[in-house]
Amino acid sequence: MERIRIYMTGVGGQGTLTATTLLARTALDQGLDVVSGEIHGMAQRGGVVESTVLLGGWKSPKISHGEADIVLGFEPLETLRGLPYLTKGGSVISNTEPLPPVGVSCGRESYPDMDLITDKVRGCSAKCWFLPCRTLGVEAGSVQAGNIVLLGALCASGLVPFGPDALEAAIRKYLKPSLVDMNLKAVALGVAKLAG
Amino acid sequence: MAHPIIAGTSGERHLLLGNEAIVRGALEAGINVVTCYPGTPSSEVPDTFHRIKDGSYYFEYSVNEKVAMEVAAGAALGGAMTMVTMKHVGVNVAADPLLTMTYTGLPGGLVLLSADDPGCHSSQNEQDNRYYARMAGMPCFEPASAQEAKDMAREALLLSRKTQQPVLLRTTTRVNHLRGPVTFDERPAPAKIVEFERNPRRFVPVPAVARVRHGELLKNLESIRDVAENSPWNTVRGEGRIGIVASGIARSYLADVLAEQGWQDKVSVLELGMSYPLPTRLLEDFLRNVTKVIVVEELEPLLEKDIRTMVQDLGLGLQVYGKCEALTVQGEYSTTSIQMALAEHLGAEAVSPVCFEGETDLPVRPPNLCAGCSHRAVYYSVRKTYGDDAFYSSDIGCYTLGILPPLKAADFLFCMGSSVSAGSGFSRSSGKDVVAFIGDSTFFHSGITGLVNAVFNKHDLLLVVLDNGTTAMTGHQLNPGVDPKVLGDTCVHLDIESIVRGCGVTEVAKVKPFNLKSTMKTFGEMKAKSGVRVIIAEEPCILYARRALKLQRPQAAYVAEQGPETDAVLNEFACPAFYRDDDGVQVDESLCSGCMVCMQISKNFKARKRSA
Repeated sequence: MERIRIYMTGVGGQGTLTATTLLARTALDQGLDVVSGEIHGMAQRGGVVESTVLLGGWKSPKISHGEADIVLGFEPLETLRGLPYLTKGGSVISNTEPLPPVGVSCGRESYPDMDLITDKVRGCSAKCWFLPCRTLGVEAGSVQAGNIVLLGALCASGLVPFGPDALEAAIRKYLKPSLVDMNLKAVALGVAKLAG
Repeated sequence: MAHPIIAGTSGERHLLLGNEAIVRGALEAGINVVTCYPGTPSSEVPDTFHRIKDGSYYFEYSVNEKVAMEVAAGAALGGAMTMVTMKHVGVNVAADPLLTMTYTGLPGGLVLLSADDPGCHSSQNEQDNRYYARMAGMPCFEPASAQEAKDMAREALLLSRKTQQPVLLRTTTRVNHLRGPVTFDERPAPAKIVEFERNPRRFVPVPAVARVRHGELLKNLESIRDVAENSPWNTVRGEGRIGIVASGIARSYLADVLAEQGWQDKVSVLELGMSYPLPTRLLEDFLRNVTKVIVVEELEPLLEKDIRTMVQDLGLGLQVYGKCEALTVQGEYSTTSIQMALAEHLGAEAVSPVCFEGETDLPVRPPNLCAGCSHRAVYYSVRKTYGDDAFYSSDIGCYTLGILPPLKAADFLFCMGSSVSAGSGFSRSSGKDVVAFIGDSTFFHSGITGLVNAVFNKHDLLLVVLDNGTTAMTGHQLNPGVDPKVLGDTCVHLDIESIVRGCGVTEVAKVKPFNLKSTMKTFGEMKAKSGVRVIIAEEPCILYARRALKLQRPQAAYVAEQGPETDAVLNEFACPAFYRDDDGVQVDESLCSGCMVCMQISKNFKARKRSA
């Protein structure tokens, strides 16, 4: 099969590492070769959290600039910061709802304009999608479900060799029973948003 | 249901973190004893052992790495198959016993996991602990995938049991924190405990014994060289005349570059998964069949220098390439850096990958002390008391994050425990006021000896023990200061104040940092005194309080009135729950922990019941 590198980026506390592991498990259960990587340590304390999922036989858990077929942005500023990882002809799926960094909260720095972020993404990707993940997550039942909305969108995009049903199966298999329904709803919302 | 790592059977395949795979490998060898001191990127190894323990092995969070190493070595002398885990800098702490236990050998077998951190993702340096393999005389395994992490952990333990020599399992952050599929093998019953045979002529390294044992070590390493010659992880692929020798995670980067660029036919690759002792016969055969050799290893040029020596000894007319502009001794390698280095040798164009210009000047996200972290309240009080008049001697933990403005509570730092002793030396030579900060786990780790020294030698500093009741930075591991309710009946709680007084400190005070007025008063009083003074600031880590102690505060802060005073709180206290919008300063209720320190700074902040 085609080999795919997925670069994921977000902010500590968003649950991006949970999403990364879920995606890697989904791929493995589909019989794909998978390796995944994450850098954490300070993640919990509001830092940037970067992770990777590489499908189809890559050995490295790390992605260099210009190598990612897909950039999944769990937070718009981090999508923008992560764009150099994108390869030519790559695709981007991003949340549109900001989590302001401390400098912005305190009024020392300003958050980049959302139009600038979307323009920049459009300018360098073959395909891109934007979703209000936080809002859709809340609609599904919790802010924390926002990351699953994004995964749902990824699986519906045709960019990976499995669909939302594979993700749903992994959610049933690996998440706590009490969280399954909410996250299935989150997948459905992500899929619907992509279609609509 | 039991965790698959402990209950999984032969043939099962699971997606595991590199660190979890190491645990499975140890279980497949029949591990008896595990000791550790936690530290990123090693921590998930001991934490997994702790979480899944089923009575088949003994596990402890030791108080520091030297102690962990000694308890482990003692257990291995007592006949147990043993693993001891730590991050790379921890091995420095443990180096003293390590460099002698390789002389005596350990009948039960012992594997040291050293988790190195090229790129300093979460460390104060990026030292290459493959040096320790050479310095101590330890066979060294370097996994590059989750499967290898499991298999090499098992193999390392079995080799150590068989040869009685301690073995190094050396990982790097990328390996510890990758996830990949792991196919399990059978998990046998725990290894047999080897009966200790009293033999002071071997196990008590007085000089006469040590001289003999050094010779034994060298002999043993020679015989282990045969293991490396035949190791399934030391393999040659390809028939090209350009040779590449690779080790560690660089093997994975290299494989991806060769596959992506279609360069496989142009090169021969020798991968060294078991990298010490060097398989010299295998290497010689390899070197005789290539026209040049390129060595690809992160950090120090150890294999490169060994190979240069071999080329000279063998009289081969061979160019050896290693460290260069793209492949430096600093930081991590990547597919890009390896591709750039190889392109030159393969006559390919050194294409740098298509890169979209990153935006410059984007707002950054420095890791920050949490909303409701008591360290912020302590630092605020200290800043108000001393300002820039004192110099702040920091230590290793969450509280190092106090380095950031506006708190600026870190002027210097070396390593675990250095706050007290470096602070002592600094105040002695400079004559300046020194305030040193140390966390509870770090205090137990290596603060106590520094404190004894400070009292003994009449140094002059104020030591603040930031006692949040847990090892917060690395994931809330147990330490002797942890709440007895959490420790249960397997560990004993130790009281920090009694220890401080027992060290001979007479000026000791305890504060509750969220009571700002009394905390400031105590700092003021201590500032007026001289000699060794200790303030113990007690307040549980906010994350730990929520998770382990189930504490929740029903009220949250809000801004009742705007103005310069409110702005000053935002600027000087800088809680991450604060933000500014068009109406002025606000408090994000979902982030506010309810510590209420802001209310004590300014009456413009008030408390109210949470809305939801």
